Amino acid sequence: MLLYTILKYELRLLAADRTLAVVVLLLSLSVGYGVSNGFAWTEFQRRTLATAAREEAGRFQELKSRLAAPGSRGVPADQFGSTLGTRFAGLPPGPLAALVIGQSDILPYVTSITTTDHPSLVNDVEIENPTHLLTGRFDLGFVVVTLYPLVILALSYNSLSADKESGTLAQLLSQPVTLRTLLLGKVAARGLVVIGIAVAISVGGVLLTAGVPSGEKLVRLLLWLALVAIYGAFWFTLATLVNALGWSSATNALTLAGSWLLLVAVVPAIANVVVRSTHPMPSRVELTLALRTASDRAHATGPRLSSRFLEAHPELVKGAAEADEFAVQSLAVQEATEQGITEILEDFERQLSRQQSLVDRFRFVSPSIATLEGLQDVAGVGSARYRLYLSQVASFHDHRRDYFRPRILRKEPIEANDLDDLPAFAFEEESLGSVAGRVGTALIGLTLPTLVLAVMSRSVLRRYRIAGY
Amino acid sequence: MVFEIARKEFLDLLRDGRLRWCGAIIAALLLAATLVGWRSWREVSAERAAAQTEANRHFDEQEEKNPHAAAHYGLYVFKQKPSLSFLDPGVDPYTGVSIHLEAHRRNEAKDRPVRDSTAIQRFGELTAAVVLQVLLPLLVVFLVFPVIAAEREQGTLRLLMSLGVSPRSIVLGKLIGVTAALGLIVVPAAALGMLVLLAGGFHSERAWPHAPILGVAYSLYLGMFVVVSMAVSARCKSSRHALIILMALWIMNTTIAPRFATDLSRRLLPTPSSLEFQSSIGTELKAGIDGHHVGDERLERLKSELLAKHRVDTVEELPINFEGVALQASEDFGNEVHDRHRGRLEKTLGRQDTLRKALGILFPTLAIRELSMALAGTDNDHARDFADAAESHRRKLVRELNRDLEVNGAGLGFMYQAGPDLWRSMPRFRHRPQELPEILTRQTLGWVSLVTWFAAGIVLLNGATHSMRVD
Repeated sequence: MLLYTILKYELRLLAADRTLAVVVLLLSLSVGYGVSNGFAWTEFQRRTLATAAREEAGRFQELKSRLAAPGSRGVPADQFGSTLGTRFAGLPPGPLAALVIGQSDILPYVTSITTTDHPSLVNDVEIENPTHLLTGRFDLGFVVVTLYPLVILALSYNSLSADKESGTLAQLLSQPVTLRTLLLGKVAARGLVVIGIAVAISVGGVLLTAGVPSGEKLVRLLLWLALVAIYGAFWFTLATLVNALGWSSATNALTLAGSWLLLVAVVPAIANVVVRSTHPMPSRVELTLALRTASDRAHATGPRLSSRFLEAHPELVKGAAEADEFAVQSLAVQEATEQGITEILEDFERQLSRQQSLVDRFRFVSPSIATLEGLQDVAGVGSARYRLYLSQVASFHDHRRDYFRPRILRKEPIEANDLDDLPAFAFEEESLGSVAGRVGTALIGLTLPTLVLAVMSRSVLRRYRIAGY
Repeated sequence: MVFEIARKEFLDLLRDGRLRWCGAIIAALLLAATLVGWRSWREVSAERAAAQTEANRHFDEQEEKNPHAAAHYGLYVFKQKPSLSFLDPGVDPYTGVSIHLEAHRRNEAKDRPVRDSTAIQRFGELTAAVVLQVLLPLLVVFLVFPVIAAEREQGTLRLLMSLGVSPRSIVLGKLIGVTAALGLIVVPAAALGMLVLLAGGFHSERAWPHAPILGVAYSLYLGMFVVVSMAVSARCKSSRHALIILMALWIMNTTIAPRFATDLSRRLLPTPSSLEFQSSIGTELKAGIDGHHVGDERLERLKSELLAKHRVDTVEELPINFEGVALQASEDFGNEVHDRHRGRLEKTLGRQDTLRKALGILFPTLAIRELSMALAGTDNDHARDFADAAESHRRKLVRELNRDLEVNGAGLGFMYQAGPDLWRSMPRFRHRPQELPEILTRQTLGWVSLVTWFAAGIVLLNGATHSMRVD
């Protein structure tokens, strides 16, 4: 009951204070700018994917009418597989992608699939000013991870110290109220306001950019809100602890600003260095050269490779003793070239997944890392979803190659009626269960330090001096 | 008096936890960032140099083949690491490092290092430049915010002034004291940077004029923070107030402004998607000569012109190889198409850069960022220069190979073959980084911003000194 009274008065005080109005205004402006940037970006991606789909459909249509014309002898399968029949494998923006841009400005979201080039070597990156990539985008993810803690700290860095400095704290405590209840009321009032606004704004952002969420989107939205609320709670608890230490307002501000910088920028940057030096990536430069060496070698030994290739793939030549010599040789060269770099490619994947699991552990060191990764996972722009896309692209490529290889060897051209049953790519969204699992871990990673800080503030508060330092 | 105040301020700061703790953390980070930067510079630059040698060998050791086949095989060129990139890697991780030069097409630079990185990369890298641009200014704010405001709060300012100490000597003394305390971090850091530069295996002659100029830019930037913070502290009633204002300035500059600028320039000056860009080039190329298909109208015209000029009836009778001529004609046409589209794109990207530099007038952190990257040789302009140099080398290489086919392959068509002697006689790729005057003129806006802010800070501080209030 007493807590309720304190809460009520604190809310009135906050409402009367200009700080809150300014802070809310700034936060709303940032959120508006962030969401509109994210939305513009997903729209851009959608347009690009639509362009790709249109180009592909047009090309197939044109080909179809050409092949259907009387007297057409079809297109040779190798020519079709490598150029004419190129397929686009697109990664549609994630379910709540407008909220976080994340890594999606760096990672390719549409890959052109041919039978010749392995998809992990295709360089389909989006055009972008490099300085933009270096800086990162102003999206809602940035607002939540970086600016939202600042708002919290600006409102709560002096929740006790201000009363102490103005002398009202001693007066207040002469009433039948404990310091703990008072501090709890103060923090709860601010928490209700700020976290409430953050939640309301997030819901608004989703409504504006993705419509009324239902089913899976609703679950994702709830996970998002949980992340935002607990991340906010973490910063409030930190501010409470610092207040409980009984320093002056200026010292509180200094300490909290320092902790903010440490957790939001310095620890992640150090984590980045640690991750990269413990599991260093192989070099792409080396890969480029190795690819060339492997291809040179394969070309030089072409004829010998052909017979070995036929021995290794008896299933491909079934009933095609007269297989085209040139076609066999180019397939053999292609296979040998790829074999020459498999090791490096596997090394890339292995190191990246090692790095990722180390990053996952760092979530427990910095709440900002946990939150950023969690938000990216929820929005559908996270690295796990991207790896899923890559693996689907790779298996699509293999599947397609399995379709074309026997036809190339048997010199079977692609004809009009083949066009309809050619494999096409459709991204299969990752399961909600795996998203929820990862976000759940992130939530634990956020809750643990919050609880530790809360326990610490409780015990520190016992030694609080109402006057003097 | 000035000296005594300076000494008192300096000793106060030395005994203060703020300088000891924050200073130690920042010094450690700076040291770590420099060493990490230097190590990765050493590895990467050795790798790139070796890669270029190997790529040249690949080209030189091709078997006997038609020169145009060699042009299709092409040459890989690699971007070399500039010396000062160990301090500021800039956009290097976000731009391609290798370009495949081949006939008919201008390839994009590929192998961006950031492609293989985890999400935490985007929190920003730990580099010496980040420490200097972001963390040191925060230390300045932390140290300077109370210097005058706290004296006012505690009433010691009134006391000092009643003793007849002029506001001028108080401000000047404190300015010197604070600067000396900061010097304890900055001077060893600069010395360390110099040491690494001199003994780290760099081509230090290329870094020589750049490094001191970089030092001047950073001094202006940090000096600006010192005087502005002093001015705010001299004006504010309470030290808390001063801290809030300075923190807001710092956050606006280092955290909000860069990302704000990114999205603003993307929204105002949009670039096409890569798919659109490539397909509009492709469509135009298809409409022109591609050199491999006989019967093209333009090719026919070229042929009849040549036949008439040499007064013969068939291409076989020509004293030159017609394929060489046709291929070069197709190359010229393709270059023209590429230039037109690329030119348009570069113009937009350039405008985005200019917008960002113009915003640097408002936010000095944006200005120092551009200046630092430019002097370290790791900004957009340098990445673009590398791509342009590679492209002009591609054109030279393809032209010479086509020319050999044209001159030496008369009457042989595509049957003509050349050998390693020809490959080895081809020009080598050499990319000279921009000259200093060019870098400096491209960054005029950045200098204007830093100097203006520094001057404005001094004017503000001067004003605050003249109208100093004791309460």
